[in-house]
Amino acid sequence: MIQDSVLGPHQEILTARATDKKILDKSQDGGIVTALLVYALEKNIIDGTVVAGPGKEPWKPEPMVATTKKDILKSAGTKYTMCPNVALIKEATRGYGLEKIGTVGTPCQVMGIRKMQTYPLGARHVTDKIALVLGIYCMENFPYDSLKTFIQDKAGTTPDKVTKMDISKGKLFIRTADDETAIPIKQTHGYEQSGCQYCLDYVAELSDVSCGSVGAKPGWSTIIKRTDKGASLIDSAIEDGVLEVTETNEGKFGLEMLRKLSKNKKTQRQKNIDKKLDMGLQIPFTHSKFKEDILENR
Amino acid sequence: MSKTITISPTSRQEGHATLSLEVDDEGIVTTGRYYSITPVRGIEKMVLGRRPESAPVLVQRICGVCPVTHTLASVEAIDDSLKIDVPKTGQILREMCLNAHMINSHAIHHFLVAPDFVPEEDYIQVVKNISEIRKQAQYVEDVIGGEGIHPSDIRIGGMAHNITKNTKNKIKTRISGLMGLLEKHVEQMAGYIEAKDFPKDLGVHAQPVLATSNTYGSRQNINLQSINEIMPGSWYEDKYTEQEDEEFAKETKKTAKKIGKTACSQIPLYDDTPVETGPRARAKKYRKFDDVGVKAQHLARAQEMLNAAECILDLVDKVDPSAQTMAKYSLEGTDRLGVGVIEGPRGTNLHTAKISPEGYITDYNCIVPTTWNIPTMGMATEGTHYDYAPDVIRAYDPCLSCATHMVVVDDESKEVIKDDMVQL
Repeated sequence: MIQDSVLGPHQEILTARATDKKILDKSQDGGIVTALLVYALEKNIIDGTVVAGPGKEPWKPEPMVATTKKDILKSAGTKYTMCPNVALIKEATRGYGLEKIGTVGTPCQVMGIRKMQTYPLGARHVTDKIALVLGIYCMENFPYDSLKTFIQDKAGTTPDKVTKMDISKGKLFIRTADDETAIPIKQTHGYEQSGCQYCLDYVAELSDVSCGSVGAKPGWSTIIKRTDKGASLIDSAIEDGVLEVTETNEGKFGLEMLRKLSKNKKTQRQKNIDKKLDMGLQIPFTHSKFKEDILENR
Repeated sequence: MSKTITISPTSRQEGHATLSLEVDDEGIVTTGRYYSITPVRGIEKMVLGRRPESAPVLVQRICGVCPVTHTLASVEAIDDSLKIDVPKTGQILREMCLNAHMINSHAIHHFLVAPDFVPEEDYIQVVKNISEIRKQAQYVEDVIGGEGIHPSDIRIGGMAHNITKNTKNKIKTRISGLMGLLEKHVEQMAGYIEAKDFPKDLGVHAQPVLATSNTYGSRQNINLQSINEIMPGSWYEDKYTEQEDEEFAKETKKTAKKIGKTACSQIPLYDDTPVETGPRARAKKYRKFDDVGVKAQHLARAQEMLNAAECILDLVDKVDPSAQTMAKYSLEGTDRLGVGVIEGPRGTNLHTAKISPEGYITDYNCIVPTTWNIPTMGMATEGTHYDYAPDVIRAYDPCLSCATHMVVVDDESKEVIKDDMVQL
């Protein structure tokens, strides 16, 4: 295990994408999360999963229990707004009767799941049924109203016309069938949910496997293998041809970029944390003056 | 020479109670007094002035052994007060949850009485079987009730969630898979109980039985006008045998008075007399079971586990996973007295509630199974040697639960730092 305060503890980093065309057509980048969940389901590693499924309004996902490939595919692709997946985990073990749950979440959701596993208050006979925790990279997340503001006021369209949203190269792209609007990320500041201002985790450091587009060329994803469980899942998925691997770019637009973004998030947010703590406010993070390594996520 | 024997606290039961026995020269009990020394917690008072939804959540904390029973009695009472019709599937899920709880709770009792009946060479195997039975029963409580202990999904108006086809199949597989072990366990326990050399007629008493249905409970089969609750003082003080020895008579009167002051529960009477409630009462009234005494109580309890498992298998087929489980209702009441009657593992559990037009609880009262049994238990010890009195008590599976045995263990050295009774 490599102890790394920037990218979190991990075993190996690689660049890959799904081989299934159906998955790639629907997915955000390399389709890793969708492919891994489908693969884990087929291999009986999980018997179902809690995903961000389509909600009542376009681009407003709602937590959904998926037990088939078809249902998992419905949830493919990134929606840049909050979806309380962790809230459905308990019910997944109850009314849905799942015993090996696959979960996927942003870093804060992964932290929530791990905290629940450590202190299972109100989660009796729940946490022993969490079989897999996939993490996705996240700089910040937007409430649905913020997303609507971007779509309506900045892109001048309506949510139902949007075909894809994507954050890359410092911009938020909003695409419709015949148009594309790019909003510089700087202009989205102030619209993110307030908790994100104090989050030190960019790459879901507590997950079994983390993945995201940063550090990989378009259409591919960077995968961080963390736990043994996560590593063996990736290895067998590659062996069975579910994922294909390409050379990892260690350079400026590759892993260096990933490290840079993670480091930036941590240093910038630590300042916000310090500021609040200095004001005497209670937030569940440690002041930098008490940390040996200020990049540490705690 | 007559004397008074006191056993305090009585052991291998839930909660704390004292057994005070007047015995004659041969040690035969002439007057038995069983009384709760578990402090009053005021839960019935606590819910007053609150929104109805608070009641099931608070009253289920009456006990960690039979929370399902209390939650159900509470929602049934409030449903009745607000005149809510619970959807059919919601009602089926409630009944399944209670039956699973019945298996679980009876299994716990088998664990408590195992030292009385199970031969040493079979002990470990029997305890292992009990654990397996409890595990499967708790699974059903978990998936239907949300939580095995203190179920969160049993709500006013029905059940918070339905179950999916997947869960339905799992319950079916698990419970039908359990049947073999359960049958073996019940047969084994029945064998040990039959073989036990208890005095003839141990625990036989002349009191009537109270039961409202074969399973689940029915408010139609209980008459509130027949119920009368008296203060423990008058019950325990009035009840003593005439003694020839004047000195002893004085002493027993003094003891009786003291018990009347110490006892923590009221004495409920049905048609002006104490009753026995629980598995034997249900079996007598609804399953043509006419045996009496301690052995009969244990046998009825063991048999009831199979009864409950069969009920679950019967009910699970009737669950429609796509049906509504919650009724729509408004909280505005009419101060109508709502009655919730649940046949819990230990007997008839009665909760009553009133909801005001503004939507707040104005009246709440519970008479729980062991409270019914308390006066009867003392009487049942009479006529046999006092050595057997604890066996008589244990046959009722009394639950006066609310004291927690707290052990503080040092995380590193595993040394026990503190070991005492904490009363909540």
